[in-house]
Amino acid sequence: MKLRYSLVSRRTFLNSLFGGWLIAFFSGSLYALFKFAFPTLGKEPDFVILKAEDFLHIDPNSTKPFAWGGKLGIFFKKADGTIMAVKGVCSHMDCNVLYKPLEKKFYCACHKGWFDEDGKNIAGPPPRPLEIFVHSIEGDKLIVAKKGVKVELPKA
Amino acid sequence: MKRIMETLTIFVILLTTQLTGAAEKIEVFTTVRYDQYIIYESLALFWVGIAGLLIIIRMKLKEIERVQKLRLDATEENVPSLE
Amino acid sequence: MNFLKLKEWFSQRYDLSDIKKMATGKLVPVHRFDFLYYTGGITLFLFILQFIVGIILAFYYVPHPEHAYKSIIDIVTKLNMGWFFRSFHHWGAQLLMVFAFLHLFGTLLAKAYRKPREFVWFTGFILLGISIFFGLSGYLLLWDERAMAAVKIATGGSGAFPFIGGFLKAFLRGGIDVTGDTLIRFYAFHVAILPLLTVMIIGLHVLLVQYHGMSVPLSEEKKGYGQVPFFPNIFYKDLALWLVVLGTTATLAVFLPPEIGIKADPLAPTPENIKPEWFFLFLFQTLKMFPGEILGLNGETVAIVLITLAILFFFLLPLFDRKTSRGEKSPLFTWIGIGYFAYFIVMTLVGFWS
Repeated sequence: MKLRYSLVSRRTFLNSLFGGWLIAFFSGSLYALFKFAFPTLGKEPDFVILKAEDFLHIDPNSTKPFAWGGKLGIFFKKADGTIMAVKGVCSHMDCNVLYKPLEKKFYCACHKGWFDEDGKNIAGPPPRPLEIFVHSIEGDKLIVAKKGVKVELPKA
Repeated sequence: MKRIMETLTIFVILLTTQLTGAAEKIEVFTTVRYDQYIIYESLALFWVGIAGLLIIIRMKLKEIERVQKLRLDATEENVPSLE
Repeated sequence: MNFLKLKEWFSQRYDLSDIKKMATGKLVPVHRFDFLYYTGGITLFLFILQFIVGIILAFYYVPHPEHAYKSIIDIVTKLNMGWFFRSFHHWGAQLLMVFAFLHLFGTLLAKAYRKPREFVWFTGFILLGISIFFGLSGYLLLWDERAMAAVKIATGGSGAFPFIGGFLKAFLRGGIDVTGDTLIRFYAFHVAILPLLTVMIIGLHVLLVQYHGMSVPLSEEKKGYGQVPFFPNIFYKDLALWLVVLGTTATLAVFLPPEIGIKADPLAPTPENIKPEWFFLFLFQTLKMFPGEILGLNGETVAIVLITLAILFFFLLPLFDRKTSRGEKSPLFTWIGIGYFAYFIVMTLVGFWS
């Protein structure tokens, strides 16, 4: 169906096209600028350095929290003495998890999700296991790192 | 025997680089192929954006010049108003 | 969004009709050389880009000699698109200098400096000096071997001035040698002192241009010329050019990111074949041409004095060029203008290739 008269004037058409394109162009460019200006939103560290003596001597079957960037990290000593470091963030909706020593499982209160001693998701909505960190001890330092990251210590 | 010689050569090379303090070149541009392609693609898209703006600006200029030639934009100075 | 109501609200408090009339009434001459008019606007646009990118880079750069170099490496390797913004800042600076010189020589050869526009020339010349100092101070902030050597040469030259040389060198360097103090001082210049001066003087420069209107070369004045309104005709052409400049800077930034050399060490010997930034090359070459001693006087001092006189003459050109101020052709000053331009180009190229 051909229209006799245009729905918009030439002026409106051109100005809307121009304005719309300008907004799209500059919001894209400004997004890049802002990403650079606000970098730490959501960024996690590659590794953290902790004082070994604060963590290695906790009781078996207990946990001690540490800071992983802005998120929760859990240092865990199993009942048999083996140590592990996991990210204490539930793989479902990112709530902080809690270790329950009686059940020997990690529990997420938000939607009643459960993880076993090795971080594997065993009950409730969590779709993936807890993220496991690689840990190593250098002298008096405990280094907890993301899997696959090459740890470079600053020459202090 | 060959294995031992190979490992020894590598060890000597690594030792010399550490001792002489050979500096690595600092990468000012990513070496990851995937990231490089994303960057070039973004640049191309950026130019498409600019080209689009240039076309629209040309359209606007042509329209403005058309209107100006027809003198449709001239305002009359002495329009009597109801004040 | 009811724009009409907002306009009503605003116009009940402020009467901008005079300013609006001035803006819509601004006319730009049309003639053979009117392409030169765009050079100033492009230089301004590049300044604005440099301000914006410089501000976000300043969020991460640490101006202390111990940390400066590492902070730039962090920007380039760790942060989102850090490498791009640093590269963009580098190329923005390069293009700014190119267009600043194009603008300078354009106005020189078109004799736009003549009466009544002498102050536009003077403020513009000061802006050129500021831009050069921006370039020098920014360059040192990388604190790598090349930057330190380049600044040693540039500030060392200032010491050759008679009488004030020693004081000038100490002021720029923050001491006898180029050290960490120089870095901090140059940082203060680069992010605080120079930006403030630039904003004030650009403001004055642009205001004067609005006051006087665009200058037309004498030959075109005689022929007669048409005029076109700035809003919207020239405004959109300006915008289109600025977008192309933006794209070009981004492209250069992506394909040719600047290097990061070895960290600077004030105690290390100067590396071979150090050259200053390209816009210093013509001065550098000129200095090289002078022998160590002339008639018992220090060669470098003589060179600096002659260069200063040449620059001073250049600065005061509108006052010397009487004929053009009267509206008459002045072949002498046309040749002087061409001479300065040719000297700049030739000496820069010689410096580049040597």
